[in-house]
Amino acid sequence: MQSYWFGDVDNERCSPFDGDVNSYVDRIRSISASMDAFIPLDWKQSVLCGACRDRADYIARLQAVCIAAAERSIREQYSGKDAELLQMVRTLDEVDTVINLLSERLADWYITRHPMFSRKYRRTPAHVLVKTVREKSKGALGRVAGEIEHLSDTRTALAKEVTARANDVMPNTSALIGGLVAARLLSHAGGLLELSRLPASAIQVIGARTALFAHVKTKSPPPKHGIIFQHRRVHNAPKEVRGKVARVLAGKLAIAARLDYFRGVAVPEFLNPAQERIDAAGKERES
Amino acid sequence: MIWIGDVLVSQGEGGVYKERMLGGARVWDAYRSKLSALYHVGTGVELTPGMRVLYLGAANGTTVSHVADYVEVVYAVEFAPRPMQDLLEVARRRKNIVPIMADAARPEYYAPLVETVDLLYQDVAQPDQAAIALRNCAFLKTGGYLILMLKTRSVDVRKEPAEVFQDTLDSLTAAGLIVQESVWLAPYHHDHAAIVCTKPSG
Repeated sequence: MQSYWFGDVDNERCSPFDGDVNSYVDRIRSISASMDAFIPLDWKQSVLCGACRDRADYIARLQAVCIAAAERSIREQYSGKDAELLQMVRTLDEVDTVINLLSERLADWYITRHPMFSRKYRRTPAHVLVKTVREKSKGALGRVAGEIEHLSDTRTALAKEVTARANDVMPNTSALIGGLVAARLLSHAGGLLELSRLPASAIQVIGARTALFAHVKTKSPPPKHGIIFQHRRVHNAPKEVRGKVARVLAGKLAIAARLDYFRGVAVPEFLNPAQERIDAAGKERES
Repeated sequence: MIWIGDVLVSQGEGGVYKERMLGGARVWDAYRSKLSALYHVGTGVELTPGMRVLYLGAANGTTVSHVADYVEVVYAVEFAPRPMQDLLEVARRRKNIVPIMADAARPEYYAPLVETVDLLYQDVAQPDQAAIALRNCAFLKTGGYLILMLKTRSVDVRKEPAEVFQDTLDSLTAAGLIVQESVWLAPYHHDHAAIVCTKPSG
């Protein structure tokens, strides 16, 4: 027997499927064909079946069902809790880029108004400089500085939301590496399912693409870490064991991502020994 | 194919992607569409009003909309949700596009929806492009055409494009297809090649 969208065909006998568009969608999502014993669909059978009147009716009905099915699939893909987190963390990273770009430009502009100004030998953080510029400058320059400050506030609020959402969506990964870096891993992988399918070795070098390809092409040393370097466990580790910490951490992250995807709740039996193991790696000396 | 001077066009409702109109017809830009580029640099396959087409890697429905202007029906397969939203918008306004949200590498899931077609067109960014095309040849009628838009950089970024091109030609020939035409799409698209095959009887 062959199941097609409009009905089941067995030799010459055909039983049409009956129902509204939604039940047709349920049907086409549940049936599949074996490609080995595949008998291609013949639209005329749908007319013999009584499912459709003619060719135009056949195409119109099939199109309506397929559009409804695609709409439902899209809705499902976006309903995953990770879909919004992905957009949030990408927005956050882009806001950062914009703030940096505007601050640099602002400093250049300010310097033309104050030719004796230099940032050398002063420990003026960027946000303090922006504040000074806002207070001391008239017109558009001051207003741009104000906008940068405003955007920085938004950035702070967004970062908090990203962390909170990551703790909720990926509790195990976030517990090991912090919500923000966990969300960035998610963003690079493209989703929680995709992250859970990555091997530890790939997680270790996510975000170090240039170095990785340089290694592949020119046999330069392989990258030890990608964005997991942003976590204090990696960048605070003594240099000689940093690669080791990154490797152990990535191994535990790969497990954590799978727990997050398949269970969705924090698993203390895994987390406690994993934390200990990662901390231990930072204290060992490579022998 | 309809040419106005040396401009390729298609007859249909305009405004799909802000395309230019020329004498009431939609201009089909070779820099945007690989299929259009094929008609500019090579021969391709003449699209006729009775044709049924299976289109793998439909993306935003830009090229699909032009193909649909020429043929009877296009079964447009796309996997990613974001471009699918655009494709749906195009399909809602054209009676002969059937959008299918599925993975082109797994035809068993959309086999109950697709009939035998005259033309199989494939433009997917996957490493196993030849294997995907061969799997979908089950839908192609005897004497039908396969147009494979080979993205050599998706197969293997480290290999020379020419090498990937030759490997793909070999695996298509080994599977019993007859290669009719194979051209690079430069200057319109870099590192992309078009391969036109026919499916012989038996």
